[in-house]
Amino acid sequence: MTPRERFLACYRFQPVDHVPDREFGYWDDTLRVWWDQGLPRWVTHNGLADHYFKFEPRGGVPLNVGLQPGFATEVMETHERYQIIRDGNGVLLKQFTDGSSSIPHYLEFPLQTRADWEEKFLPRLQLDRLYPSNWEQLKTRWMEREYPLGISCGSLYGWLRNWMGLEGISIAIGTDPAWVDAMMEHLCQLTCAVIARAAAEVELDFATFWEDMSANHGPLISPAMFRRHMTPRLKRITDLLRDHGVGIFVVDSDGNINQIVEPWLEGGVNCMFPLEINGDSDPVKLRARYGQRVLLKGGVDKNALRAGRAAIDAELERIAPVVATGGYVPTVDHRVPPDVTYEDYLYYLRAKRERFGIPDPGFADAP
Amino acid sequence: MADFAAMQEAVIKGNLGEATRLTQEALDGGTAPAAIVNEGLIPGMLVVGERFKNNEYYVPEVLIAARAMKGAMALVQPHLKEGDIEPLGTVAIGTVQGDLHDIGKNLVAMMLEGAGYKIVDLGVDVSPEKFIDAVQSQGVTVIALSALLTTTMPSIGKTIEALNAAGLREKVTVIIGGAPVTEAYRKEVGADAYAPDAGSAVEALKGLAA
Repeated sequence: MTPRERFLACYRFQPVDHVPDREFGYWDDTLRVWWDQGLPRWVTHNGLADHYFKFEPRGGVPLNVGLQPGFATEVMETHERYQIIRDGNGVLLKQFTDGSSSIPHYLEFPLQTRADWEEKFLPRLQLDRLYPSNWEQLKTRWMEREYPLGISCGSLYGWLRNWMGLEGISIAIGTDPAWVDAMMEHLCQLTCAVIARAAAEVELDFATFWEDMSANHGPLISPAMFRRHMTPRLKRITDLLRDHGVGIFVVDSDGNINQIVEPWLEGGVNCMFPLEINGDSDPVKLRARYGQRVLLKGGVDKNALRAGRAAIDAELERIAPVVATGGYVPTVDHRVPPDVTYEDYLYYLRAKRERFGIPDPGFADAP
Repeated sequence: MADFAAMQEAVIKGNLGEATRLTQEALDGGTAPAAIVNEGLIPGMLVVGERFKNNEYYVPEVLIAARAMKGAMALVQPHLKEGDIEPLGTVAIGTVQGDLHDIGKNLVAMMLEGAGYKIVDLGVDVSPEKFIDAVQSQGVTVIALSALLTTTMPSIGKTIEALNAAGLREKVTVIIGGAPVTEAYRKEVGADAYAPDAGSAVEALKGLAA
């Protein structure tokens, strides 16, 4: 089977030669730590890691449904341990430069009022977007492809949270839900406007959303808020694509998503990723609860990789029955953290491939 | 006579205008400021915490309730005299060294403050030395440590070790939380309590004090 045939058959619960061989990725720190443990030093980012470990290819339509242009990135201050930066989302943040943390601390958000939305954001979210100048060539190339091709549908809650901060969007939902509706409506209209032509002209295989809208004990908004603000708009986006044959809608959202799986399914978003086990977003439980209504990706507990080989074996044993039923691509449940050793990660890859009948592809040379 | 039930309800509903109106009316009518806090505002926020813990409330409801409480407290504060309100404890809270995530930490601080604890917010990326300094200089009785990442979680243990080394461990209660933290980890590092969520933090501390 080609990677595309395998991907589609897996998510259609049809027979496959083996489950698709994919992984989520790694923190930047992880790759740096692994260099001293045997990973070639030319593997400097996730794209090169995918290449080195020979994971199955996947493609994306190069369209942007987000800020265009983004805000200008500026270094505002430089200190011994950190810099103060205005990033492409317009967020003022503190970025450590001494290697102590790759994750920034957010200081100030650009979207706080309706005026901010109208003056700073709407001009960057215009509906009339140009397609790539080589669009016809891309279409021709995609007709012969052997890999699954996806399209990004962006985000409703996640982007607003990034622009407003958690406190900002939470207060807005609590005190001015009509404004939140208006902003999400615009993002929905923008997504539909951008993807409509691609959906009509290209045989797409899947669509992706990004939200990251849960903590480890539940979602950041209630299921009722989700149903009010998001479900109807997600449904419009997924219906547009479903009319053109797309049936796989992947949402990337960390933490405990259990309470909002049903509202997502109602909106047509059917593939949950990355299924963080520590947040109890468990592929075994979700399949038991939703059957073939839900598609799954992720769900291998990163903590098992930290705990060593016996725990890795036990974790693969735990998820094996769900892999066997189909509709599930197992990967580590988030980016692999640097406290997983390279040796144990290689053990995990070998064990996963052996258990699920994935031929050992070896390692690639530097591109 | 102040309408404490209505005041509680205003906090529970996150109605800032109503919470401040009722608080001002109570102050104008001669109600003791401490009574407004203890019988009106704190009981309302405790209900919010309980509902959050039970998944009846979510972050938006908690934040607008905290905003209502804060607005009302701003009116009461100038009228409070030393000793009017005895805090349940003084909590030094922070995200441990190397960790910059403050969402969970801020929610816990909000809940504890709403329940009647005095909060010393040390922020993010807080070194063990800063926690020790807070215990020594600010009358801290509770240390609340948060970590989001498996890679920064060991800083919880290091902070507790530092408290031990400074001879301060017995003087403070240590409560821990964050995505990778578990009850088993609490036992491993010798913390007094583990809170899986912000609502549980109040309950856990009150449970230890009982």
